[in-house]
Amino acid sequence: MNAFAHPATVGICIFLAALLAVTPVIFEILQRCGRLTPALRKELNARYFSWLVLVPLMVAPILLGRLWTVAALGLLSLFAYREFARATGFFRHRALSATVVLGIALMIFAMADHWYGFFVALPSLVVSALVIVAIAGDEPKGYLQRVALAVFAFALFGVCLGHVGYLANDGNFRPILLLILLCVEINDVFAFCCGKLFGRRKLAPHTSPGKTWGGALGALVLTTALFAAIGSSVFAGTVLAAPVHLLSMGVLLSFTGQLGDLVISSVKRDLGIKDMAATIPGHGGLLDRFDSLLFVGPALFHYIGYFVGVGLDQPARVFF
Amino acid sequence: MRDWEYKPAGDAGLPPADRMRSLRREGGLPSVLAHEAWCALTAGYLRGYHRFHVEGREHLPARPPFVVVANHASHLDAVALAVGLPMRLREWAFPIAAGDVFFETKVNAAFAAIFLNALPMWRKKCGSHAMETLRERLVAGEAIYLLFPEGTRTRTGAMAAFRAGIGMLVAGTHVPVVPAHLDGCFAALPQGTKWPKPRKITLRFGAPRVFADAPDTREGWKDVAKALEAEVVRLRG
Repeated sequence: MNAFAHPATVGICIFLAALLAVTPVIFEILQRCGRLTPALRKELNARYFSWLVLVPLMVAPILLGRLWTVAALGLLSLFAYREFARATGFFRHRALSATVVLGIALMIFAMADHWYGFFVALPSLVVSALVIVAIAGDEPKGYLQRVALAVFAFALFGVCLGHVGYLANDGNFRPILLLILLCVEINDVFAFCCGKLFGRRKLAPHTSPGKTWGGALGALVLTTALFAAIGSSVFAGTVLAAPVHLLSMGVLLSFTGQLGDLVISSVKRDLGIKDMAATIPGHGGLLDRFDSLLFVGPALFHYIGYFVGVGLDQPARVFF
Repeated sequence: MRDWEYKPAGDAGLPPADRMRSLRREGGLPSVLAHEAWCALTAGYLRGYHRFHVEGREHLPARPPFVVVANHASHLDAVALAVGLPMRLREWAFPIAAGDVFFETKVNAAFAAIFLNALPMWRKKCGSHAMETLRERLVAGEAIYLLFPEGTRTRTGAMAAFRAGIGMLVAGTHVPVVPAHLDGCFAALPQGTKWPKPRKITLRFGAPRVFADAPDTREGWKDVAKALEAEVVRLRG
């Protein structure tokens, strides 16, 4: 199918290109008005240049096709796991860490093969394997900690993020995934801007001192509006095009997106680090950038799945 | 309930290029696999082409930390020492390599770090800071250093005096130092030649020495270096 067959795909791509084109102009205007200190401008520039690389990296696989999308999101899962494993020190448990990687690899296979049965079988099977592999070496000391870290990592980066990738099996995956990625990332920007404008009460000062109720609620309203506006085109012709569904999905996305951010903030606070890694200049690690995606995947996947189904009209078990 | 203890990777939070050159670098699964594959490949080459032979393996401690010191004649040396270790120890084995040769460009550094598992020693600007880091890592117990205390490859085939740096790493610690002698590397690949000749290479490990009583001073370091030099000379027979 033509990558640009759906009008929403074209619309979102144009929107993204426009956003990237306008951003430096806005920076320039803010600086001329004296609203940006040189240090802040430098940080914003670093972030912007990273976005210039990230946006094509996110959009290109989706335009190229189903397997490219699965591969890109699979790599994201593996790199997110890697950052987590190195930040916690979990990677030193070689056998257990290899089992998590194998589990994630099998999830990626299930997505690529469009084998839903295997996709839902894996969480229980991999968790069993992790719990069992952790007894090897006959070292009961630290057993619960290493099992907990292993299961946590697999659940978040294999299972939760995996749901985003599984959406690629839907016939309409291009506009759906672009819509989700756009809204999730812009949700962060909305929260940041609204927080600056009218954020007073701290949301969770011990977990993430920068977040405010004002920012969270502002993002909820704005992201929901944006999701509903673009979603009406993406889901046109299905039950989900009804306003009540569009608004529910928008709220769900903004809410779970911000929670993903808070969850990774909790992890970082517990570890006593600021960023998970230093992969993306201006952003930190991949996990610092894509943390908001963690719970949006399962939430929207099952919402769409419940009301219209995901990929029901597409060939399943494509490899065998 | 006790708090959990996390120990992030020694090089956590560094940008990729700095990671490769970090003395605290810890490899993850991909680099362990790459290093194992490299060792398997070079082991096959050494055995097939150089009839590589190892003696005295029983002298090696069963677990890290320890240091292996050997004479230095060719670029084959570090590879031979790594392959000479039993497989279960290879993961912890870090050849200490000249920064200006192996870590100058990003590509070289990535190769040295990922495949050789090497740590850089900058010969010109190596401050006491780098030695301190290496010593800390060794004493913490999770490293095996493969080291050539002559500091450079021999030009003539004769072994040069050991430099005091090895003493800075181990004087006053309980970390064992295993002396080793490499025979045949100079004949196989002397400095200035491009392709190795099919000469037989023999690696001989000697009994480990501990320098817990050696004072951690310039004099103490020199004594350690001298003692180890004598051990390696003795292994040459």
